[in-house]
Amino acid sequence: MNLLQGQGGLLISILLFAFGLWWLIPGPAQRNKWVGLAAVLLGIFGQLGVMRIPDNPLVDEILFGLFAGSTLFFSALVVTHHKPVYAALWFAMATLSSCGMLLLQSAPFLAAATVIVYAGAIVVTFVFVIMLAQQAGVTPYDQRSRRPALAVIAAFVLLAAILTALHRNGNELVAAVPQPLSDVAVHDLTQANALSHPRPGESLGTMHGLGRALFGDYLFTVELAGTLLMIASIGAIAIAPRREQGTL
Amino acid sequence: MTGDIERTLAVAAGLFILGAIGFLTRRNLILIFLSAELMMHGVGLTFVTFGRMHFSNEGQVMNVMSLTVAACEAGLALALILALFQVSRSLDVELWTDLREEDLPNPVSADELTSVVPATAPEFPKLTPAGRAPVLPKRQVVIKRNSSPKT
Repeated sequence: MNLLQGQGGLLISILLFAFGLWWLIPGPAQRNKWVGLAAVLLGIFGQLGVMRIPDNPLVDEILFGLFAGSTLFFSALVVTHHKPVYAALWFAMATLSSCGMLLLQSAPFLAAATVIVYAGAIVVTFVFVIMLAQQAGVTPYDQRSRRPALAVIAAFVLLAAILTALHRNGNELVAAVPQPLSDVAVHDLTQANALSHPRPGESLGTMHGLGRALFGDYLFTVELAGTLLMIASIGAIAIAPRREQGTL
Repeated sequence: MTGDIERTLAVAAGLFILGAIGFLTRRNLILIFLSAELMMHGVGLTFVTFGRMHFSNEGQVMNVMSLTVAACEAGLALALILALFQVSRSLDVELWTDLREEDLPNPVSADELTSVVPATAPEFPKLTPAGRAPVLPKRQVVIKRNSSPKT
């Protein structure tokens, strides 16, 4: 019973969901669709029930493994695929899964904004440019990359350095961080960037807190970002080829 | 390295590294910018993780700013790519190695300079035959074949 309430229920419901979906996918064999529907519904409701158990560590583990693995897998596909259109689509997938990582890091607004900006706007613009400027077929410069061995060696030396530092000093680094300000009973407004810290009892990354930080402590930065966007749009219009200069 | 913060930092580092590899090795201008965006993803994830470590919203504010910069960068970069494509009719970045300093050697080795090879013939889509094949008597076909060279 304990197993069913905790981790066993999660696995069983996931397996039921997967089995029901597999059952429902049309194939050569004629299957009774009610069996598949029942399995899918049981899986979904079981999953919802498991998710409602507070502080289930296995849920966090599975979500982290899923998002981290798919982020790294899809970004490896972006880097290695030899067709730019596929690379752009894998980039969208990598963006979505890194938004899952952001959600796990308690940044829901940021995850939504990243989905809108990256997967909604940037990837679509990339695909448009690929359609405008891509030559037909697989081009030779997509098949021959430049000094791959040197780049991989340099990058993975850097990665090994970062991971070694995290392995050795990670716990000390986290422990050396001072106590979060929300524990302080009196919220000290004279402290540096006081508006950026969540108030006592408030959780991290809420719209309220993020808006207070953006339009309180970082108001000039927001103005600067707006100016930057305007200048960039003017520049993009000025740089982009005119119609009278000939179409692509 | 079992904590939540350290492993997220490790994933962010991996994202950055993969983007860096793509930025260094790929020769397509569009893929170079996609790799740069991957690197920005990694840095943004690091920002958010450190902000969570300090229980502060500042990391997320920084990520919002880097999101803005990424949007500006994408717009400008794609306009530049279109302008460059109009000049060279190719997305190969090696075509622009003439912009280097005069006293530096050409960074492209001879076997890597494959862009001079013309691209293969474009593959046009072939329509699959639709509908039923008409049943024609054999004699008519034979007659048509015989008559067509005469005209």
